Amino acid sequence: MFIRTDDKITAAQTAVFLNNTLLGAGILTLPRSVSQTVKTPDAWISVLLGGVIVMLAVLVMVKISQQFPGQTVFQYAGRLTGRFIGGALSLLLILYFITIAGFEIRTLAEVTLFFLLEGTPIWAVILPFLWLSTYLVSGGINSIARVYTIVFPISIMILLISFLLSLRIFDIEHLRPVLGNGVAPVFAGLKSTVLIFTGCEVTMTLVAFMQDPKQAVKAILGGLAVLMGIYLLTVVIVIGGISIGSASTSTWPTIDLMRSFEVPGFFFERMEFPFMVIWLMQMFCNFSSFFFQASLGLSQIFKLKVHPIIYALVPLLFISAMVPKSLSDLFALGDAIGRMGVVLFLLVPVLLSIVWLIRAKGLKQHV
Amino acid sequence: MIILFATIVSFVPGWAVFGQAGAALLVPLFLRYIYRSLYRFVGSGRGQIGHGTKTARQSQPPVPAHSDTPRPASFSGNYNSDLLAVRAAIGGNSDLHFREFTIAHSGARAVLIHISGMQNDRVLNMQIMQFLMYDLPAGSLSSAEIAGRLLPFSELKEEAAIDNFNKLLLFGHGGLLIEGLPCGLLVELPGSANRTIGEPVSEALLRGPRLGFSEVLSENTAMLRRQGFNDQLEMKSYRAGNTIQRDIVLAYMKDIVNPDLLEEVKNRICKIDFDFLAESGYIEQLIEDNYLSPFQQLQNTERPDRVISALLEGRIAIMLDGTPFVLIAPVTFSMLLQSPEDYYERWLPGTLLRLLRFTASFLALMAPALYISFISYHPGLIPTELAITIIKTRQGVPFPSLIEVLILEISIEILREAGIRLPKPIGPAMGIVGGLIIGDAAVQAGIVSPFLVITVAVTAISSFSIPMYSAGITLRMLRFVGMLFASVLGMYGTILFFLLICCHLSKLKSFGVPYLSPISPFRISDWKDLFLRAPMALMKRRPVMMKTRQNKRKS
Repeated sequence: MFIRTDDKITAAQTAVFLNNTLLGAGILTLPRSVSQTVKTPDAWISVLLGGVIVMLAVLVMVKISQQFPGQTVFQYAGRLTGRFIGGALSLLLILYFITIAGFEIRTLAEVTLFFLLEGTPIWAVILPFLWLSTYLVSGGINSIARVYTIVFPISIMILLISFLLSLRIFDIEHLRPVLGNGVAPVFAGLKSTVLIFTGCEVTMTLVAFMQDPKQAVKAILGGLAVLMGIYLLTVVIVIGGISIGSASTSTWPTIDLMRSFEVPGFFFERMEFPFMVIWLMQMFCNFSSFFFQASLGLSQIFKLKVHPIIYALVPLLFISAMVPKSLSDLFALGDAIGRMGVVLFLLVPVLLSIVWLIRAKGLKQHV
Repeated sequence: MIILFATIVSFVPGWAVFGQAGAALLVPLFLRYIYRSLYRFVGSGRGQIGHGTKTARQSQPPVPAHSDTPRPASFSGNYNSDLLAVRAAIGGNSDLHFREFTIAHSGARAVLIHISGMQNDRVLNMQIMQFLMYDLPAGSLSSAEIAGRLLPFSELKEEAAIDNFNKLLLFGHGGLLIEGLPCGLLVELPGSANRTIGEPVSEALLRGPRLGFSEVLSENTAMLRRQGFNDQLEMKSYRAGNTIQRDIVLAYMKDIVNPDLLEEVKNRICKIDFDFLAESGYIEQLIEDNYLSPFQQLQNTERPDRVISALLEGRIAIMLDGTPFVLIAPVTFSMLLQSPEDYYERWLPGTLLRLLRFTASFLALMAPALYISFISYHPGLIPTELAITIIKTRQGVPFPSLIEVLILEISIEILREAGIRLPKPIGPAMGIVGGLIIGDAAVQAGIVSPFLVITVAVTAISSFSIPMYSAGITLRMLRFVGMLFASVLGMYGTILFFLLICCHLSKLKSFGVPYLSPISPFRISDWKDLFLRAPMALMKRRPVMMKTRQNKRKS
C-alpha cells in the first residue's frame, strides 16, 4: 500500500526509539553518581558491567514480548496472570512511567532555570514543553519515532564533537590506576550505573509495534549498545577531563567539563551551548516516550480511546513534576526511581516469564 | 503511620500548582477544539473530505444543465429547430457570428458559427467557407459517420448535446450545423491570443532549457511530449468547475507511477467542488492533505524539465488550463530545496550549492530568533569581545530586541512586497532606497543596531536563495513565530520552536508520503540525492519513498 495506515516502526526506528528514551538526564548526572559510589577511577568498568547486566535483563523482556506478537505488556500481562494481577502490574508500570516523566521534566526545568533562564517561574518552563510533547504524542508512535530519527543524529554528532574538543584537557592519569582497589568498588558502582538504564521497560511495548518482531533482539540490543557506548564515553571523558574528585562534588559534572575549556576562533567559545541544545532535545524525546507509554498503557488497560487519556495525563504529569520540593528531593526521587525500576524489572518480566514458562511449557496450555 | 501520612502531605504541592495544572490541561483542549472546529468549518468542498464525484471525466456524458424552459437536450436533425435552439440559448452574445449558406452541390442549408477573435479569419473565409460552399461533394450528410468521411478537417468532432455544443462554441470552437445531420460539428480548435513562450520568470536558471510553460493547456502537454520519445507518458483529462469548467490534465509515467498514488490523486481531483478554478493554486488548496499547515504539500513549477524529471521519479503532474504553473504531487521538504541546476552542473558544485541552500533555509528560519535569544537572554554564550561589540552598538537603541527586530523585519517584508508590484525599471531603485538608505538611516538614527541590519539582511537574502518561491514564503512566515518563541523563552524557546517544527513536519504527509522523508523515516538509499547530489553514475535507482513500479534508472 502506498498510504500506510498501520502504526508500526522499523527495526532501526526501534533502536533509535529505545536509545532516545533512555539517553537523557543520566548524561549530566551519571559521572557524579558513579564516582560518588565507586570512588576510584574504575567507574567506567561499572558502566560497562551495568550495561551488560541490563542487556541480559532486556533480552528476557524481548523474549517474553515476542511470545505475544502485536501485544504490549499491558495486554499480555492480563492474559498471562489473569485480569486482576495483570492489571495491577500494568498500573504499577504506568505509575512508574509517570514518575519518571515527571522526574525528567523537573530535571530539565532545573537545569534550564540554572543555566539558561534564571528568574523565570518554573511553570513557564514546564508548560510549553508539556504542550509540545502532547502535540507530538497525540500523533502516535510513528510520528514520535520520526522525530527521534531527526534528533538522534544531531545529538550524536554534537555530543561526539563536544567530547572530541574536550580531549584538550583530557588527562589519562585521571583514569589510573585501573582496579587499584580491587573489584569491590566496581560492584559498588553497579548500583548507580544500572539506574541510568531505568525505563528500559519500554522494550515490552516497543516490540509490539515492530514491523518485523523477529528483528527485535538485534534492534533492542543495538540501541542499548549505542547507549552504553555513549555513557561509557561520557564517564571516561568527564573523569579524564576533570578528575574523579571534582566529578563527584559537582552537581552537573558534564556541563562543568564543557565549561572548563574554550575553543578559540569558533563562534561559540564554549561547547556548553550546543551541548545544552542537544541535551534539551534529548530530554524532550525522553519525556515524550514515557508520556506515550503511560497514555498507551492506560488506554489499553481500560480499553479507552487514547486521545482523552493523553489530555488527562497533562495535568497529572505537571503535578508529578512539581512534587519534589528541592534539588536534593529531585535527586532522591531519581534514586528511588532507580530502585523502583529494579523491583519492577524483577516483578514484571521475570514474573511473567516464569508464569509463561509454567503455563506454556509445563502445563502445555495455550496462552 | 501518622508520620508517613504527614510526609506524604508535605509533598502535596500547593494550590497554585493545581491551578497551573488546570491551565496545563485547558490549553491543549482549547487548541484541539479550535483545530477540530476549523477543520469542520472549512471541510466542505475540499478534495479529500467532500463526498461524491463532482468532476466528470471528459469522456463521460455530462450532467444536463437545469433550466426553466424545456429545451431539446440533443440535436434532432431538423435544421430550423436546431438552429433556433442554439440561437435561443446563446444567440444574444454580440461576439457570436452565424454565417448561413447553402452547400452548392447538394443544396442543403448549413450554418457556420464562431466567436470573433478566436478563429483565424483568413482560414475561415478562404478555405473552410470555400470548401463548404463549392467543393463539398454531393450526397446527403445524414449521419456523423458520413460527415466524418466527407469533411476533410483534421479537427472534427461531433457533438449530440446542444448544451455541450453551446459551451464549446463559446469556448472558441468553430461550429457547423448542416441540414439533415442529427448532431453539431466542431471544426476548428480555439485559437485565442497567446503570449509567446518564454523563459520562466519565477524559476530562472543559468544552465538549462530556456523553456517555460504557457497559459494554454495543449501547448503545455505538447511541451511535455516534446521532451523525448516515449510511449509510457500518459495524460488523463478531467473537467472541473461548477460555473465555468476548465480542463485539468493528469500526467504520469504509466510504467513507473505507483497505482495507489495515482488512484488517490484521481480521487481527490474528482472531488473538487468549486465554481471556477482560476489558477492551479485553487487545485492545490482544494486537494492538499492539511490546509492548516504552513508548509505546501504540492510543488508548483513553470519548468517542463522539472516536471518530466518528477514524472520519472514516480510523481504525478497536475496541469490546469489557463496557468503556466503545473502542480507536482507528492512533494517532500527536501524537494523544495532542489533546483534542476543541481543536476545539470557537475556533482561537486551541485552538492555544495545544495548544502548552501540547506544552510540558507536554516538561517532564513532561525537567524532572527537566535539574534533575539543571544542578545536578550544569553550574551554570555557568545564570545566576550563580540558580545561587548554588539552591546556597545545597541546602547542607544531604546527598544527591547524583539521590537527592534520586528521593526526591521516588517520593513523588509513591506519592501519586498512593494518590489513585486513595481514596474521593472523602478524595482532596483526601490531596492536601493529601501534597503540601503533606510537601513543606514535607521542605524544612524539609533533605532536599530548595525549588527541587526546584518542579521536581517542575511535572513532576507537567505530566503531568496530557496528555489521555490512558495517555500520561501513559508519560512518567512515561520520566522516570526520563531521570534516570538525566542523573545518569551530565549534559547529554550528557540529549541522548543525547532522541536515544534520537527514534530509538525514529522506528522505532515503529502499524498501519503511523509514530508520529511528520506530523513525521517530514514531511507539511506535516497540520501544520495538529499544533502549530496551523488555523481550521475551512482543514481541508479528511483527514489524509494515514491514506491515506484520499476525502480531501476539504468538497464
